[in-house]
Amino acid sequence: MTSEVDGVLVAAHELKGPLALLRQLAFSLEYADSERERREIGREMIDISERAMKQINDLTRLRSIESGLFEIEPVAIRAVCNDVTSELKDLFRANHKNLESDYHNRLRLVAGNRDLLHSVVYNFCLNALHYSSQETASSLSVRDKNGRVRLEVRDYGPSLPADVWRAMRQGYLEQPTSIAMRPGSSGLGLYIASKFSKAMHAPVGAIRHRDGTSFYVELPAPRQENLFS
Amino acid sequence: MIYIIDDDYKMAECIARYLRPEETKIFTNAIEAIENIDDDAPKLIFLDVLLDGPDAFTFLNEIGSYENTAKIPIVIITSLNLKTRNLRAYGIKKILSKETLTPEDVKLCLKLI
Repeated sequence: MTSEVDGVLVAAHELKGPLALLRQLAFSLEYADSERERREIGREMIDISERAMKQINDLTRLRSIESGLFEIEPVAIRAVCNDVTSELKDLFRANHKNLESDYHNRLRLVAGNRDLLHSVVYNFCLNALHYSSQETASSLSVRDKNGRVRLEVRDYGPSLPADVWRAMRQGYLEQPTSIAMRPGSSGLGLYIASKFSKAMHAPVGAIRHRDGTSFYVELPAPRQENLFS
Repeated sequence: MIYIIDDDYKMAECIARYLRPEETKIFTNAIEAIENIDDDAPKLIFLDVLLDGPDAFTFLNEIGSYENTAKIPIVIITSLNLKTRNLRAYGIKKILSKETLTPEDVKLCLKLI
């Protein structure tokens, strides 16, 4: 019960940010210098609403993975990564940041669920956006590792606290951290990514760097892989 | 010059719009602000509490320990439930809630200069 209440509080805290920003952007419309600026503010409001809606959808989807209501199928991992980077390209640019992709995987398909995998990559990348310093490029890389496919997102910002890093060594996060994991975040996106990954039998992990953090997920290859490659 | 220090660049941009943008400088972390403060000391600072890297209180301790920056009026902008009376020792003049603040609240802070 307590952890469920904690989860609701964390979700409420996480959704307060975009709502507060939407309110300020609505005020800002009156202060815009030009029609072009007004259009840009309107575009930002739409983007922020869409991201918040996506997060709410992910939260509701957490319930359905508990019931096992999703399919595991061969998924083209590069296509999912390309979709996410394309969706987030403008957001990174608007924040004066950059996201680079680097694919080295020979195994082109993984066993997973396309929607869940999309959310995992999306949440990892949003996390990198939030924590990267300006003018630095976060990177999304995909490569083979011991018969699995490892997808890794590296940011250049504050390093992950050691206790959260230790908690992730079991391959998933038990619960969102009740206090900011790193400043400005409850870690809800990472928790969602961890739950979705666990449902796909894909452990997640983190690597602490002196100048940032890498989050990764290791996805199993589908048994039919050799038929497709 | 007025500093706005907030790790949410978009929120900082909104605050800057309510003032004269050309008279504001946005920083997304405390270190960058501290690196600039001696060359271009601000007349007022809007400061978020939870920042990437050193937080607002580390920043306040740092600027409070130098004579040329100790008296700069500080306005905290936060979603946390903080009380001004508990933070006066840090030179904080006002606390604005991110959830309820209006452009008028921000503009009124110019009277602190």
